[in-house]
Amino acid sequence: MLCALAAIPILIAVAVRVSSAVPAGRGPAFLDRITQNGLFVGVTAMVVSVPLFLPLTVGVVAGDTIAGEAGQGTLRYLLVAPAGRVRLLLIKYAGAALFVVVAPLVVALVGAGIGAALFPVGPVTLLSGDTIGTGEAMVRLLLIAAYLAVSLLGLSAIGLFISTLTDVPVGAMAATVVLSVVAQVLDALPQLEWLHPWLFSHYWLDFGDLLRQPLSWDSFAANAVLQAGYVAVFGALAYGRFITKDVLS
Amino acid sequence: MTRKWLRWLPAVAVPAVIAAGALAGSLPASAGDPLPPKTPEQVLQLIAQHSEPALSGTLEQSSELGLPELPKTGPGTDSSSTAWLELLTGPHTARVYRDGPDHARIQVMDQLAERNAVRNGNDVWFYNSKDNTASHVQLPADAGRAHNSGKDATATPDQLAAMFLAKIDPSTDVTVGADVQVAGRPAYNLVLTPKSDATLVSSIAVAVDGQTGLPLGVEVKARGQADPAFRVAYTSLTLAAPDASVFAFSPPPGATVKEIPVPEHKHGTDSEKGTPPAKDSARKPAVTGSGWDAVVEFPAGTQKPTSDAAAPLQQLTVPVRGGRLLSTALVNVLMLDDGRIFAGSVPVERLQAAAAQK
Repeated sequence: MLCALAAIPILIAVAVRVSSAVPAGRGPAFLDRITQNGLFVGVTAMVVSVPLFLPLTVGVVAGDTIAGEAGQGTLRYLLVAPAGRVRLLLIKYAGAALFVVVAPLVVALVGAGIGAALFPVGPVTLLSGDTIGTGEAMVRLLLIAAYLAVSLLGLSAIGLFISTLTDVPVGAMAATVVLSVVAQVLDALPQLEWLHPWLFSHYWLDFGDLLRQPLSWDSFAANAVLQAGYVAVFGALAYGRFITKDVLS
Repeated sequence: MTRKWLRWLPAVAVPAVIAAGALAGSLPASAGDPLPPKTPEQVLQLIAQHSEPALSGTLEQSSELGLPELPKTGPGTDSSSTAWLELLTGPHTARVYRDGPDHARIQVMDQLAERNAVRNGNDVWFYNSKDNTASHVQLPADAGRAHNSGKDATATPDQLAAMFLAKIDPSTDVTVGADVQVAGRPAYNLVLTPKSDATLVSSIAVAVDGQTGLPLGVEVKARGQADPAFRVAYTSLTLAAPDASVFAFSPPPGATVKEIPVPEHKHGTDSEKGTPPAKDSARKPAVTGSGWDAVVEFPAGTQKPTSDAAAPLQQLTVPVRGGRLLSTALVNVLMLDDGRIFAGSVPVERLQAAAAQK
């Protein structure tokens, strides 16, 4: 799955390389900057993968956690060991969280690497019009990856909870991915403005704040608080469900 | 059985704690030290004597004018004729930095994009990250502070407050409401209420910082609408000189740079939203009535919508008897078929009556 994610920046870089120049302001954000600076491949790839590809892979991993074991009939054997259900749940979530951290990092680093290989690398122009050196640009790139990792923690907690509800892993995966799409659709409807700050996908695309000068931490903090809330709520729900569940398979 | 239900306790407790936290957070913060009571005159004096402090802060602007929210993507969103319309619909966040009259920077923060207006001495730069274009204005050495704000930027509360306070005349009731908290600072709430019933404006509230007299927020309420029709206020504010590097701007490599000649007239900031200066006295807009319910008439031929402004205008206006009407919560504009335009913050019937008189 990480390979599939790594293919996104490679596809973007190759497509931009073999095609003619992209006019400014067309296509996904930052696409027109790639020919001037290869580091933008990583940023563009993250913009492209946030709405669907990252939630898709996170949904698959998080939905598989408990339901996958139940589906294979191995959950019983795991619980026979004296480790306890809480510990199993925590370790399963830690595994999903690790994937959430690694996935955006892969997109960013593969993007920066392929961009550096195919395009010139130099000082990076920020959204504010200021330019920063390559080293600081790499720091910002890693910050964006960290931002996305935090952003997806809430979704992986939802996936973990859904995974405890069913013995069919595909169902849990699909439900998690569908929820992420539904949240983004709701976020796009201006009539539901009161609901927007409560949607886990609300701040997903606000990582542009990390590309401003002076750097704005507002959305990072708001996002972290929101995701912590989702992790707490769905972690507690998953605990309640998994502890009381009759494990038959 | 009870044991089983106890296991679900965290799942109930966590949302309850979050809900309680959210409720507590949404309650208005109690004012720490109440400000000494002041009469409206004293508050006006406080505003008048406020110096322009060095500051950095975040502004939030929202409008409920009854205009449809424009799509943020798609054809036509980049053209400058719709950019100001976009600022009037939907919410916006901007960061403001200021140090003295000739160092200022406003950053309008869009999602994955930003619009900048920077003034450093006599150099003024506008930068739009969406299409990577920069424009530069070299001000003459004796330029006043009128060029302070960018044509593309949102107005800061003190600019707006100055505009509204200049309009105070006998047709306005000026009162001081209960103290408010803006950006964590206690502020006087100066309320301007039109005496006339015929205007769409219900009241204008200006939050004035109790310490410095700096206007911190402006809220315009329209008749028959609970939410403010227009609101701009600081959400955070630091009264200290920002780092000098904030004002240093040079166009990034690869950007399209455009040199703009200095506009002839000094009050350049007004011409963008308001009335274009009339060429000769015969075509001057005529004002009927005075105060809040005044109706302004532009004779035929003074306002010609350009072709790219025509399309959004066509969408925003509705046909009425004798022409088309642009209706918002605060202002109605009646564009007659014969080219005359009537505008005012009054109900449409009044505009039609004014049009029929002529």
